[in-house]
Amino acid sequence: MFVGPRMKRNLVTVTCGATLEEAARLLKTHRIHHLPVVGEGSRLEGIVSDTDLRNATLDGTPGGADRGDSGRPVSVGEIMTRDVVTLSPGDTLDDAMLVLSRGRIGALPVVEGERLVGIVTKADIISALLFTLDIGGMGVRIEVFLPRDVREVARLVGALADLQTEVRSIVLAPHGANAYAAFVRVATIDVGSLKGRLREAGFKVPEVAEFLE
Amino acid sequence: MENGTLAKGGRVDPLPEPEILEGFERLIAADRLFGAELNASVIKKSGKGAPFLVRRPPSRARMLEIWRDLFANRVLPQDLLDALAPEVLGFTHEDGLLLFGKDRVLYDCRIFRANEPVGHLTLSFYRELEPVFRFLPFPRRPGLRIVYIEGISLSAQSTGFASSLFRFYERLFHDLGFHRFRLKASLSVGKYYWAKEGFDCEDRKQFAEMRENLHALVRRLGLPVEEQEIRRLNHASRIASFRRDLAIPVYRNAEGYYSVDRDASHAEEFRFPLGKAFLLCSPPWDGYKVIYTGTPRRTGFVWSERFLGHRTRPGHVESPRRLEALLAAAREGGMGESLIFLEPYTPAMASLHAVHDPAYLDAFREAVARGDRKFVVRDCSISEGSYEAALLAAGGVMAGIDAVFSDRADNVFCAVRPPGHHAGRASAMGFCFVNNVAAGARYARSAYGVGRVYILDWDVHHGNGTQALFDEDPLTFFCSLHEHPSFCYPGTGRRMEKGAGAGLGATLNIPLPPHAGDREMIEAFEREVVPSIEAFRPELILLSAGFDAHRDDPIAELECTEDAYVHMTRRVLEMADRHCGGRVVSVLEGGYRMESLVSSAIAHIRTLQGREVPPCSSARG
Repeated sequence: MFVGPRMKRNLVTVTCGATLEEAARLLKTHRIHHLPVVGEGSRLEGIVSDTDLRNATLDGTPGGADRGDSGRPVSVGEIMTRDVVTLSPGDTLDDAMLVLSRGRIGALPVVEGERLVGIVTKADIISALLFTLDIGGMGVRIEVFLPRDVREVARLVGALADLQTEVRSIVLAPHGANAYAAFVRVATIDVGSLKGRLREAGFKVPEVAEFLE
Repeated sequence: MENGTLAKGGRVDPLPEPEILEGFERLIAADRLFGAELNASVIKKSGKGAPFLVRRPPSRARMLEIWRDLFANRVLPQDLLDALAPEVLGFTHEDGLLLFGKDRVLYDCRIFRANEPVGHLTLSFYRELEPVFRFLPFPRRPGLRIVYIEGISLSAQSTGFASSLFRFYERLFHDLGFHRFRLKASLSVGKYYWAKEGFDCEDRKQFAEMRENLHALVRRLGLPVEEQEIRRLNHASRIASFRRDLAIPVYRNAEGYYSVDRDASHAEEFRFPLGKAFLLCSPPWDGYKVIYTGTPRRTGFVWSERFLGHRTRPGHVESPRRLEALLAAAREGGMGESLIFLEPYTPAMASLHAVHDPAYLDAFREAVARGDRKFVVRDCSISEGSYEAALLAAGGVMAGIDAVFSDRADNVFCAVRPPGHHAGRASAMGFCFVNNVAAGARYARSAYGVGRVYILDWDVHHGNGTQALFDEDPLTFFCSLHEHPSFCYPGTGRRMEKGAGAGLGATLNIPLPPHAGDREMIEAFEREVVPSIEAFRPELILLSAGFDAHRDDPIAELECTEDAYVHMTRRVLEMADRHCGGRVVSVLEGGYRMESLVSSAIAHIRTLQGREVPPCSSARG
């Protein structure tokens, strides 16, 4: 999945010259945590987070390099992160997940050249995952452990088809060195019968799903 | 406030008659047991010392007979006297007497506070045939045992003594095996409060007059109230909560009496909802209340042959045999005679459109007419009788609601199928087509003006359809106990689903982990469900009673037994007694293993009837 379709496009931004108070107010009004800082022509110059703002108001916390007359930062430009990790619309969600999973970053601006076009946050990644795994949808997830042999996967899909199962999603994950765990989300209330039939067909179906959660 | 010496109703062997006889002799010797004139109006107090028109006691044999009939020989005379006279809030009973009439026993005492007499109390214990049995040719039908408060007078008002004493008595009389506890009072002050507590006019003529006065008031003030709405009122409590949306001005005088007209003395202005204002300004009336002490209630059983016409494909677990087995068990062992069988009806389409899109119902009807074998999803297997059965199931719940509001039954179990709680406004799933409980809740509102409805869903699956229909409705509380959605169909009903918009907070989801049993279920029920019912103060309780959380049921992984259903049912009835005149309509949802479905549902129904249920037998071992 590419970043483009999943990123947020209507952005709340500030300029370098905005005061900290203005920035804080924007975060509060829009209930967000990150503000990309832009210059002319939506050129991305930096990013400022609620953590940056909080730190800047505490004594002795180093902000940006420049200081106002009082020795305390007054403008966004003074405290923003200039060395921003960015994505381009052609990057994938995998890229985003790998960057975000390293921690310390909550949002990734998306740029085309130098121009800011969107932002991807952790919440966007979570909703993409929910969507992929169909966790919010109606149905129930069962697990099947398979030997690590793709023909077993084919056999499972065949069995589900024979049983006229209404499959919502199937996820296949490695399970130890020699096995797969298949997560099948099905739209039937009578999972007891389905599990029974699969067991009769020789599949290893644990009693209760306990793999992912 | 202990009654430790008393036997719990129905659990202890009768005491030997010689012991009871000896008890009589002791009380006679102590001048605490007499005979009394039969005609209750002759029995009256006449000052200190000689309070009663009393006689010599009747023959010992007669006294023993009465004692056996009323108390089943489960209590000694002295113990009864002691139990009837608890010290409550500093009030004590003095000079307590037992008096034997021809068919009843009276208890009479004077009430003291800090050694000063402040009033008196007279109770009457007797039996009465249940109205439904009165014309049947069986000579020894068990009658209802009744305790009646012949009179209570107190010089001190608003001390909380009477209500504390009655609550204590309620428990005591239940333990003694009495079915009803009747109170009578002349309601000159606090009429609104008494009506809210469930007191009603003593005779129907008086009530008709009250309704006429209400009508006149509405006409005089030109209020937007339909004549029909007033005609439908049938209890003072319903007048008390009538048209809360209309506030009208009333005027209070210095003594605290209210009037709808302002005059020299009634000067202080208040605004109250119509029903409350009317009761505050109505003339005094004689009121009575019946407290059901938890032994037999009249339980309705909704059932129809036509529910079997919804035939699912072979091997489908939601099969007609579920109902056949349940009906057979309900007719067994004398149970059938104790149930009031109620016929469901096909509801008006308009009442179903309150919960389902017309286009959706049309599509369902057409699918059935076309001879389709499934509707929308494979789970929803259909046959030629499916549409009729699904509509009738919703109509069954409506028939149950009619029965509790017309007083044909105290509570009702609706043995309906197909089940309904997964069905949404325009979606069939999980064996459900029409949301029976939701249609019932809407019907109760439109037909009987019920405000707050509490729906408790203890099917093992989350009642997603019902939840979605009432998500934004603050007056319909939806509470579901189910297996956690990460492990169980339909994957909804997480804790953070709490309703939306105005209905935020009127949805309560309690997911239980796989393999949770009675202990976890009952703990969650006591910890969360009970307080939510108490706080919501429902006017009607509906149960989505699936029995598939049973450990023997194959469809999911909870491990409850009949005990959990009995416990929850009993507690729900207690709260229903307190808040809504005991009105509970229970609707069958799931339950797919015949044995556990039948044993659980029967235990549930017996509990609805207020009967003892033997401890769970199917699973323990």
